[in-house]
Amino acid sequence: MGQTLAEKIFSRACGRQVNQGDIVYPEPDLITTHDWYVVNFDKVLQELGLNRLHAPHKLLISTDHEPVATSPLAAQRQRQVREIVRKYGIEHFYDVGRGGHGHVFPMEKGFIRPGMFVIAYDIHVTNYGALGCMGVPVVTEISEVLACGNVWMKVPHTVRVNLVGQLGPGITIRDVAQKLISVIDVDDADYSAFEFGGPGLASVDFAGRQVLCNTPIEIGAKTAFIEPDQQTLDYLSSRTNEPIALIKSDADAIYHCVIEFDLGLVEPQVAMPPTPDNVVGVSKVAGKKIQHAFIGSCAAPGISELAIAASILEGRRIHPDVRFFLTPSTYEVMSEATALGYMQIFVDAGVSVTAPGCGVCAGGKIGAMADGEVSINTGTRNDFGRLGAMKSEIYLASAATVAASAVAGEITDPRVYLLKAHKMQDAQ
Amino acid sequence: MKNWIMRGRCWKFGDNVGIDGDMMPLEFAIKRETDPAVLGPYLMTGLDPDFPKKVQPGDIIVAGKRFAQGNPHIQGLIGISAHRLGLVVESIPRGSYRNAINAGVAFLPGCAGVTSQVDSGEDIEVNFETGLFINHSRGVRRQYTPLDASQLAIIAAGGWRAQLEARVARILGQVKE
Repeated sequence: MGQTLAEKIFSRACGRQVNQGDIVYPEPDLITTHDWYVVNFDKVLQELGLNRLHAPHKLLISTDHEPVATSPLAAQRQRQVREIVRKYGIEHFYDVGRGGHGHVFPMEKGFIRPGMFVIAYDIHVTNYGALGCMGVPVVTEISEVLACGNVWMKVPHTVRVNLVGQLGPGITIRDVAQKLISVIDVDDADYSAFEFGGPGLASVDFAGRQVLCNTPIEIGAKTAFIEPDQQTLDYLSSRTNEPIALIKSDADAIYHCVIEFDLGLVEPQVAMPPTPDNVVGVSKVAGKKIQHAFIGSCAAPGISELAIAASILEGRRIHPDVRFFLTPSTYEVMSEATALGYMQIFVDAGVSVTAPGCGVCAGGKIGAMADGEVSINTGTRNDFGRLGAMKSEIYLASAATVAASAVAGEITDPRVYLLKAHKMQDAQ
Repeated sequence: MKNWIMRGRCWKFGDNVGIDGDMMPLEFAIKRETDPAVLGPYLMTGLDPDFPKKVQPGDIIVAGKRFAQGNPHIQGLIGISAHRLGLVVESIPRGSYRNAINAGVAFLPGCAGVTSQVDSGEDIEVNFETGLFINHSRGVRRQYTPLDASQLAIIAAGGWRAQLEARVARILGQVKE
């Protein structure tokens, strides 16, 4: 009987063949944590009487949740993190101004390859699935992984998603990803691995693949990844000298279910508060006044989000009632956006650009909201209080919808602006 | 060896019991309170304000699909552990599944249709090691799939932290095996 990609990755990490449903102790190839949990895991290790990590060379730490310290307490924590990094001899430490978002830059820097198994403190590590790597989040148990090398896991069943068709004008992969998690049965998604493939995948760029892998975790998936392909090889060719295998599920592998999903949605999608799968077409919420907008987070990780925002914002100004924050996910993305002229467009439009990392999405430490305010943004979640005040409302959407809404001062279908931009280009 | 057989009264709940609000006030998750003595008196009070006063050790919660759904806070599961109750559910989302083990709760996770086999107050018995479920009041027996031995070992140790301390102690050679 054949194996799914998830079973193959788990089998390698266990050193023996394992199958869905098995309880196992797989050895991760890489472990990641962010700046807000380093002091916590150090405290647990101290309580356990440990003064070393099981494998410090496997640990990667990113200062992405609060790179710009917003209080003396935060500055003190950053100092503690640096001391802890030195104490344990952690080589892969990406501090303020170095990498950017920890779910993104490790791919840019060649840490991530198809078939790898990563354990992380933070649920959106599934972005690594964009390169066919399996990232699995744990919470407090990250301390066990760091102390002992592993923790128990259940080998997941697989939800296979075959993408077909192509995106319509003004529709982005974020719209597709939001729609997808709103139609899949949560009982099928629970504890599953999402595996994306099908003829439509080739048309999805690297950023779009991250977005597809970012969202299933919101409905209970354990992990998500794409079936690696030629695009994966092309992306990695200049980033790593390690051998790359295009590992795939066997033809006779047993999937929990197979879903065919058409990229050709009829309209952009918006997730209403308070959950990311509470999704409607933009026409249902168009006209809702906003005061806050944000593009960034691991759910809008790439240059393509900034490109579409720039195409809408070029020659326009943000509505006077709106404040608009934009956070490039990484320094590489920021550099590319600068070279392409997007940064000047953002500055001219009145956008507040912040240091790479999680940006506003990390609990609203920067750019928070007040009671009674409404935000439209590309963050990962829209729980009440996520970005500050409990009585604020968060709508999640694509970078295109966010940029268009910020110009209009209300939730807006971006195709109005995008089609105008296209017509102008055609006229030139 | 832990005794994996529990016999007691059934406390039945439906589908979609929420971890925050239904099982435990959200404020304890926000405060990161993990003391069983603090959390026990609030268990399930969102659904039944007198629940903590009515249950006794060995009683068993039987619930429907997606038990402990929502943001996977551990406090509600610690509340179950505080009363030394068993747990039988039709399904439990991933985060709460891990938290139930981490809180040291003896449970059966995937018991399709079990809520149609019981009512609150009935005399039930569960062997969490073998997966055997008996409703003595109705004379019904059902066989379900138990947790893996490695997961039961964590529960037997008293939950995640206790087993981690034992695991690290073995690594440090403080325990002679």
